[in-house]
Amino acid sequence: MELSKEQQADLLDCLLETGQQLLESGAEISRVEDTISRIAKAYGARHADVFVITSIISISLEFSGTDFVSETRRIYSSAGTDFNKLEKLNSLSRVVCNNLISLKDFHASLSEIASMKKPFWLILIGSMLAAGSFAVFFGGSIYDGVASILFAIEICICQNYLDKTKVSTAASNLLISLIIGICVGLVCRAVPALHMDKILIGDIMLLIPGLAMTNAVRNILVGNTISGAVRLIESLIWAGALAGGFMTAIIIIDTIF
Amino acid sequence: MNEFEILVQLVTAFFGSLGFALLFGLGTRHLFTSSLGGMLSWGLYLAVFSFSKDVFIACLVASVFAMIYSEFLAKRHKSPATLFIIPAIIPLVPGSSLYYAMSYAVRGDVENAKIHGHQTVIWVLAIAAGISFTTTIKELRQR
Repeated sequence: MELSKEQQADLLDCLLETGQQLLESGAEISRVEDTISRIAKAYGARHADVFVITSIISISLEFSGTDFVSETRRIYSSAGTDFNKLEKLNSLSRVVCNNLISLKDFHASLSEIASMKKPFWLILIGSMLAAGSFAVFFGGSIYDGVASILFAIEICICQNYLDKTKVSTAASNLLISLIIGICVGLVCRAVPALHMDKILIGDIMLLIPGLAMTNAVRNILVGNTISGAVRLIESLIWAGALAGGFMTAIIIIDTIF
Repeated sequence: MNEFEILVQLVTAFFGSLGFALLFGLGTRHLFTSSLGGMLSWGLYLAVFSFSKDVFIACLVASVFAMIYSEFLAKRHKSPATLFIIPAIIPLVPGSSLYYAMSYAVRGDVENAKIHGHQTVIWVLAIAAGISFTTTIKELRQR
């Protein structure tokens, strides 16, 4: 299948969009690279050189001897997780690779997936359930679980607000853990029956970059050392920011009361 | 640890995993199986720990199980394994020892901070080793 110059540019655009959305919904790097080069080859590219790290996608396609196209896209936020989107993108790329739908349809399906957004209530319910369960899981009482659920709501509201600003993930982790730490500390001083440690552990579980870390380890193992290392350092910094926020909160609470 | 505590842990592990599955927007049809994965891997951890008395071995076995379980589901549903790994592995994440290491360090209790910090590192290494082990086997089978 021969693509005209215009179609090649279109294809490149679709590929970048696919890559960006995969990254932003929490796919591992190897999957992003693999998906992009498979689709490119399915559309007739002879060579597809794809380089992806957490903040950049760079694609060069060679169609025939002198026919090259190449573009790079800077990704600003790759920390999100949306498994629904990830699954949709995965089945879309399967369809695209198997029975070549037209570029226009590909584009249309991509923008349809892009417009899907995780509803806020779902995030809220998920966080409440997870925080409450883990507070009890790590040995808290039922009351600790309930308190943890209430603070999970606070985390969600903070996160929702900070996502709309340009604040980096590390900074937002630091800020959220500081706020939550102080609030939990104050409430626990007022109600001595509650255990500050159990409540905080339940809420920490929500903020620990577990997905980023698992993906980092998996990336390094399958040979994407650079992207894996970048991701690993990123997630360690996020975890460090988290610890820093809670530590500061504990110090503040301990000194004041 | 008595039966009641074990039951509470298994139930909360299930709902904790379910919470994460919802939070990450996992499709409705995968919710039950993936949360079950979290409960099963914690159950396996408890079972192995009860006779080996070794956190590293128990966590390693549990995380290998979680990975195999997720790869199996991924294959069956033709979906990325990432979808199932997080709910299955989340009960093994050492949130508790991380918190205690931090809080003892802040309060100047170096001895306890060391103990819990050491625990955290063991847990993280065991999970990483479990992931490495399964991923490597999978890669070997593909070539």
